[in-house]
Amino acid sequence: MKTIGIWLSGLVRRRYGRMLPAVLGVSLTIALLSILGIFINASAATMTRRALGDVPIDWQIELTRGANMDSVVQQLNETVTMRAMDSVGYADVSGFTAKSGGNTLGSTTQTTGEGKVLGITPTYWTDFPGLLRPMLGAAAGILVAQQTAANLHVSVGDTLTITRMGLPAVIARIDGIVDLPQADALFQAIGVPPGAAPQAPPDNVLVVPMDVWHKWFDQQAVVRPGTVRTQLHVRLAHAFPDDPRDAYVYVQQLANKFEARVVGSAIVGDNLAARLDAVREDALYARVLFLFLGLPGAILAIILTFAVTATGGDRRRREQALLRVRGATPPMILRLESLEAIVVSFLAAILALIITLVVVSQMVTIPLATRQTATVVVVALVIGIGSALAAVIVPAWREARESSVRMGRARVGRGEAPFWERTWIDLILLAIAGLVYWRTAAAGYQIVLAPEGVAATSVSYGSFIAPLALWIGVGLLVTRIFRHGLARGRAFVSRVFKPLAGALSPIVAASVSRQARLITRGVVLVTLAFSFAVSTAVFNTTYNVQSRVDAALTNGSDVTVTGTTPYPAGQLLDTISKVPGVQAARAMIHRYAYVGNDLQDIYGINALNIGDAADLSNAFFANNNARLTMQKLAARPDGVLLSQETVNDFQLKLGDLVNLRLQNSKDHQYHPVPFHFIGVVREFSTAPKDSFILANEGYVASQTGEPAREVVLIRGNVPPAQLAKSIEPIAATLPGARVTDLGSVLKSISSSLTAVDLHGLTWIELSFAILLIAGASGLVLGLGLIERRRDFALLAAMGAKGRQLGAFLWTEGLIILVAGMGLGFATGLGIAKMLVKLLTGVFDPAPQSLAIPWVYLVVLVLAGTLSTVLAVLIAQRVTQQKSLEALRTI
Amino acid sequence: MTDILAEAVGAGRVFGTDGSRVVALKHATCRIQRGDRIALVGPSGSGKSTLLHLLAGLDEPTSGTVRWPALGERETLRPSKVSFVFQTESLLAPLTVLENVEVPQLLIGSNPDEARNDAALILRALDLAELADKLPEEISGGQAQRAAVARSLITQPELILADEPTGQLDRHTAKHLLSLLLRRIKGTDTALVIATHDPFVASRMETQWAMDHGVLR
Repeated sequence: MKTIGIWLSGLVRRRYGRMLPAVLGVSLTIALLSILGIFINASAATMTRRALGDVPIDWQIELTRGANMDSVVQQLNETVTMRAMDSVGYADVSGFTAKSGGNTLGSTTQTTGEGKVLGITPTYWTDFPGLLRPMLGAAAGILVAQQTAANLHVSVGDTLTITRMGLPAVIARIDGIVDLPQADALFQAIGVPPGAAPQAPPDNVLVVPMDVWHKWFDQQAVVRPGTVRTQLHVRLAHAFPDDPRDAYVYVQQLANKFEARVVGSAIVGDNLAARLDAVREDALYARVLFLFLGLPGAILAIILTFAVTATGGDRRRREQALLRVRGATPPMILRLESLEAIVVSFLAAILALIITLVVVSQMVTIPLATRQTATVVVVALVIGIGSALAAVIVPAWREARESSVRMGRARVGRGEAPFWERTWIDLILLAIAGLVYWRTAAAGYQIVLAPEGVAATSVSYGSFIAPLALWIGVGLLVTRIFRHGLARGRAFVSRVFKPLAGALSPIVAASVSRQARLITRGVVLVTLAFSFAVSTAVFNTTYNVQSRVDAALTNGSDVTVTGTTPYPAGQLLDTISKVPGVQAARAMIHRYAYVGNDLQDIYGINALNIGDAADLSNAFFANNNARLTMQKLAARPDGVLLSQETVNDFQLKLGDLVNLRLQNSKDHQYHPVPFHFIGVVREFSTAPKDSFILANEGYVASQTGEPAREVVLIRGNVPPAQLAKSIEPIAATLPGARVTDLGSVLKSISSSLTAVDLHGLTWIELSFAILLIAGASGLVLGLGLIERRRDFALLAAMGAKGRQLGAFLWTEGLIILVAGMGLGFATGLGIAKMLVKLLTGVFDPAPQSLAIPWVYLVVLVLAGTLSTVLAVLIAQRVTQQKSLEALRTI
Repeated sequence: MTDILAEAVGAGRVFGTDGSRVVALKHATCRIQRGDRIALVGPSGSGKSTLLHLLAGLDEPTSGTVRWPALGERETLRPSKVSFVFQTESLLAPLTVLENVEVPQLLIGSNPDEARNDAALILRALDLAELADKLPEEISGGQAQRAAVARSLITQPELILADEPTGQLDRHTAKHLLSLLLRRIKGTDTALVIATHDPFVASRMETQWAMDHGVLR
C-alpha cells in the first residue's frame, strides 16, 4: 500500500506534463461519444415533437349513422387524455349560386358545382388554430372559402344561395372570406384506404356556426342520410415516447384501443399516426447518418486514446524492467502501472463531463429524458475509461508475463509482422468494402425501409460494412506500406530529405527507417483523422448544397409571389419589375389538370424567357438539355412535358396526343384539352416532387379561357430576404398573395420533418474533427518526440546544432503530416463518394457531384500543419534547453 | 599558442531554487592542459559529473567562470574539439553501432562516405567491427560503452571527458575499456579527464583530483 502511495505521489508530482495529453485524448473520446449519443436522442425527440406540432387535427373521429355521440365521447375520455375536442358537421350540397352586379341589366349569375358546408362550434378555431386564415371581413358567422368567393364573384355582405340535397335552397349573407390552409386534412375521407376515395379538397366550401348548420342540415340528414356526417376533432395530450418509431406504435395502439371500445360507432382518422409514420423513415435515416458519420469519429477518438497512452509505452517498459530487477511481482507491477491510467481516466471523465455539459446545453434546446441521457453518458464513460485502462494494462500485462528484463529495455526491435499483416486482412477488408458497396448499389441503395402503415421498420446495417471496412482497410494498408516502405526505402528518404538534413541525411533516414513503427502510427492516425474530417465535411456540404437546390426548386427563384386565379400575381408583374434589386421577373400559370383520373399541377410558361428568373438545370429534363427542351416547347404551342411516371403509366411516346382535362373559366368544369407529348421533365421551379405538367402559357390560357398567371418568379441582385421585403408591400395589394424567399424556404426545408437536420451533427463532427487532427498530428507526434527526448538530448550533448537537431524532428513531422494529409484527403473523398451513394435516400434531389468545402479543408490543413509545427518546435526547445536534465532523468 | 585547454576559476553550480536548493559544486578552480591524464575521484554525489559537464560546455556555472583558451568559444567545442563519454548507456537507440560512431563526424559536416570509413576503422581498432550492424539494444552494456568510447574518439578531439565510463562494468571489462582508450590516445596531445571512484582506474592516470561535497581539493 505504501509503495502504491509513493508511486501515486510521484506520478502526480513528476508526471503531470506527460499525463495531461493523455487526459485530453481520453476526455475527447468520452465527450464525443456522449455528445453524439445525446444528440441522436435529442434529434429523435425533436422529430417527434415537430411531427406532433405539425398535425392540425390529431384524430378525426367519424361517427357512423345512428351512433350515440355521448357514449363515444365517454369512451374517448376513458381511453385518452385530451387537450381539446370539438364536434364538426359536414354536409354535402348540390352547389352555391350568387348574383353579381346587383339587379341591373348587366348582372350575371354564377353557379358552382357540388360543395360542402361545415358546421363548427364557437371554440373550434381556437382549439384547432391554423385551420382557418381570415382574409376579409369577420372571422365568425357565415364564412366563404376564398376559392368559392372567387368562383361566385362574391364578397363580404353579399348573399348566396345554398342548394341543399333533397330540400329547398337556403339563402345566407356572407360575413367573411377565409382561407383554409389545411383543407386536405379537414376534408379527408375517413376510414377508407389511401387512394380508394377522392382526396382532393372540395373547390366550394362554406363554414357556418353549428346551430345554423343543424337548422339547415338536420332535415337533410333524414332525407339524404349519406350526405350529412358528424366528426369529433380531437387534440391529444402529447405524452408520447421520444422516438418517432415508438411514438407511432404507441399512438396506433391508442387508436386501436379506442376503436375496439366503440366498435361500430366510430372510425378514427389517425392523422397523428400518419404523420409519425412519415417521419419514421427520416428518424431512421437520422440514426443511420449519425452512425455513418459519427461512428468513425468515435472509433478514431478511441484509437487516438490508445496512441496517446501508448506514447508512454517505452518509458513504462523501462520502469517495469527496473521494477522486476528490484523484485516486483507481475501483479504488483500491474497495480502500479494501472495507477497512471486510473488517474488519467478520472481526470478525463471530469473534463469530458464538463465539455459535454457545455456543448449539450448550447446545442440541445429540448429537455432530455434523464434515463436515456444517463445511459449514454455511462456507456461513453465505460468505453473511454476502458480504452485508457486497456491501452496501459494490456501491454503491461503482456510485458510482465512474457518479456525478459533485457527485452523490456528494448525500444526499436526488429519484430516480425503482426497477424493481420501476415494474413492480408487489410486487402481482404478492402475487397469486402468493394463487394458490400457493389451489392448495396445493385439493390438500389435502399438502406432504410419504413413501409407506410407497417409498424416494423428496418435498416440495412450490413451496408455500414462498406465504408467501415474501407476505412479500417485503408488504415491497415497504410500501416503495411509505410512500415515496409520506411524500413526499406532508406535511400529514398535520404535523397528526399537531403535539402533539409544535409550531410546528416543518411543518418536521419536510418533513424526514420528504424522508427518505422512509430512514424507509421503517426501517418495512420493522421490519415484516419483527415479522412474522417474530409468525408464528413464533403458529405455534409453536399447535403447542404442539395438542401439549397431543394429550396431553390421549392421556391422557384430568389423570391416568389404566389397569388390565386381570381387574384393572380401576374397582375403585379410590371410593378414588381421596377423594384430596385429585381434583375428579372417572369409570370407563369399554375393550375390543376387531370391526366386520366390523376390530378396534377400544370404550369403554363413562356419557354423562351422563364429561364431569366427560374433555375433551369439540364438535370431537370430527361434529355439533359434544358435549353433544347425549352426551344422544343416554344416551337410547339400545344406541346407538353410530362413526368416519367406519367409517361410510364400511360405508355406514351414522343409526339403522342395527350388529352388533359382543365377547368374552363366559363363553367368551372373540367374539359378535355388536346396536347402533344414532347419530352420528360423531372424537376421545375415551385413544382411538387411527384408528377406535374409543363406547357405553354398562351395555349393553356386560350384553352381554359383564363389568362390569369398566378405565380411570379423574381431573380434579384440583392439578398433574397431584402428583395422579399421590398416586394411585400406590393403583394399586400393583392388579396391572398404570398411572398416567399429562398432563405426562409431553405430554413423551413432544413428543419422540416421530411429532411434530417444535419446542422448540429455537422457542427459537432467538424469541431471534433479539427481537434482529432490536431491530436493526431500534433499530440501524438509531440508526445512521441518528447518520449524519445533522450536520443535528441544525446545528439545535443554530442554537439548537434539546432538546425541539425531540427533535421531529425522535421523529417519525422513532415513524413507524418504530408503522407497522412495526402492519403487522408484521398481516402476521405472516396468515403464521401461512397456515403453519398449509399445514402441516396436522404438527398432530394440526388446530387450529381460532390460539393467540396474548400474553406473548411484549408482550415483542416492549417490545423494539421500548425499542430505539427508546434509539436516539433516544442520538442526542439525542450530537447535543447533541457538536454542535461533529460540525460539525468531518463 | 597556449596549452590550456580548459580552465575553471571559482566555478560553482547550484541546482533548484530556494526551497529545493542543491549546491553541487563550490568554488572550483582547475586547469587542463594538452596531454594531461587526470582522474577526478570522489564518492557519489561529490560533484564530479557537475564539474565535467561545466568543463565540457554542457552546462554553465552559476558562479565563477569556465574558459577554453586553446579551444575557443563554448558553442564551438563539441563535437570536434571536446568529446564526452557518459556514465550510462548513451548510444542512439534507432542507429546501429557503426551509425552511432559516425554521427559526430557527420555533425561536423564530413562527407558521409569518409565518416563511414573512419567509423569502421575505429571500430576495428577497438575490436568492435563485428558489432557494427547491431542495434544498441542487441549488445551488452560493456560493448555499448566501448562503442561510446569509439564515438568519442572519432573526431580526434583535443579533450576527452569521461564520466565514470567503467562505473557499470565488471572489473575485467573496465580494465579492457580503459586500456583501449589509453592506447588510442597514447602519443597524442589529447587530454583525458576521467571521473571515477575506482582506485584502479585512478591509478592509471598521471594526476588525481579529489572531490568531496562539491569541493575540488
